Amino acid sequence: MDIPQKLQILKKILPNWKALDDLLMDAEAIKELSLMVKLQSDWVKRRASGLYIDPFLVEVKIKIMSREALAAALTASWHPLVSSDQITPRRLSRAWDYWNVLLPLSERLKAMEGVDEVGEKTLSISELIRLKFLSERVFNEEVSNLLAELKETSRKGPVDYWEFIMSDTYEDTVMRAYALSFLVSGGTANLIINPVEETMMVEAGPGTAKRAGKSIPISFTYEKWKEMKSKSDAHE
Amino acid sequence: MSEDATISKKLKRASQLLLYQHHRLPGAKGWELRKFVGRDYLKVIKLLERRFDDLGLEIKTVFEDGIDRPNPTDDELEQARFYVLSKSPIESGETSLTGMRIDSLAVLAATLAYITSKQGRATRGEVEELLNEKFPDWKVEQELRRFIRRGYLNEDEEGNLFLGWRTRAEIDRRVLLGIIAGSLAEVPAEQEQELEQELGKGQVQEEADEQEPEELEEIQEEGQEQEEQADKGP
Repeated sequence: MDIPQKLQILKKILPNWKALDDLLMDAEAIKELSLMVKLQSDWVKRRASGLYIDPFLVEVKIKIMSREALAAALTASWHPLVSSDQITPRRLSRAWDYWNVLLPLSERLKAMEGVDEVGEKTLSISELIRLKFLSERVFNEEVSNLLAELKETSRKGPVDYWEFIMSDTYEDTVMRAYALSFLVSGGTANLIINPVEETMMVEAGPGTAKRAGKSIPISFTYEKWKEMKSKSDAHE
Repeated sequence: MSEDATISKKLKRASQLLLYQHHRLPGAKGWELRKFVGRDYLKVIKLLERRFDDLGLEIKTVFEDGIDRPNPTDDELEQARFYVLSKSPIESGETSLTGMRIDSLAVLAATLAYITSKQGRATRGEVEELLNEKFPDWKVEQELRRFIRRGYLNEDEEGNLFLGWRTRAEIDRRVLLGIIAGSLAEVPAEQEQELEQELGKGQVQEEADEQEPEELEEIQEEGQEQEEQADKGP
């Protein structure tokens, strides 16, 4: 590439530029030209180093040479390295100290398991209360309030499960679903599932029933909440 | 301390740095020699080279970009790595000392010559295509992996192959290309015959070639362990 010619062009048109963008583009062009000079310099160096041979010629020669001839060519140009490993008394002493303080593998693995192997786990209410994530009194209040709300809402008949638990935030919605699951499990709320219409309704049960409640797994994710929330907002 | 004693001490330091491996790579960088031997480290290296000459060894300077320089600057020398090498190439009778089979040597020769002719870089696909003319896929794959691990080749994330540090140190690429391209005298016929005989001796290895790749992998892994031991030296 004729670099001086390109630089002459840039020099000639430089006075015409007024906008900053045009000047920046010129600067970019000069940067690219300097890179080109470097690449050309590398190319010249390589050619001058005596290592330049037409790649096609080399490829053809490799194809027609026997493997013995290729191996012989390599050994004729191979000057093996001389190097040795060493250990000094000081290094050996440090290695001995390290060995002495190193815990047995079984203990190290145990420690690592303790850190890394924390998988998913279901916590009971009593565990959450023990861990101070929940206050027993506050939780009981939440459940009672929700039951009162359910009684009020379902006075005229069962209401949609999702509409009932839906709240302004995801955290509140999860909390309401969790509290409602207690009411359903305890039999103070009924969950009515219609598999044909794929609907899920909920209504207050007949007071503090002694009958056994039921347990139904319901999948609830943040995506699901967002979907329900947008539907609910659109409806309003 | 007398001048002789000082020089003797510097020679010992320089030889220790060059001969005992203290990093991942053998040899020593110019700046290390300057730091531990002194500013006149190049003079010390020249003196040491005279001593090594009697043992058939030489000190080679490999610059960062792998290209030789007749008049390097101080900065280039400080970044260069100095190695101790055998002054003369391996004789064919000593080929078994490399721990490599004739096939492996041929793959390495072809790969290095091809990459050098392509200005030090070729795609893995191109190299594999060339090698597949004479060797099966699995063998090419296995050998390339081995040469990358041993430092003769480098591979980047885009699948380009480059010459590794060990090629730049150990292989006289001008001689290799010269012999392959025919501008230098070919290897004497007797040497080739010796190699052929070695190939004959390696009948067991030839049989191994006909085995399934997985079986061969196991056999060669054993060999590789020995090679790695040999790499580390006695």
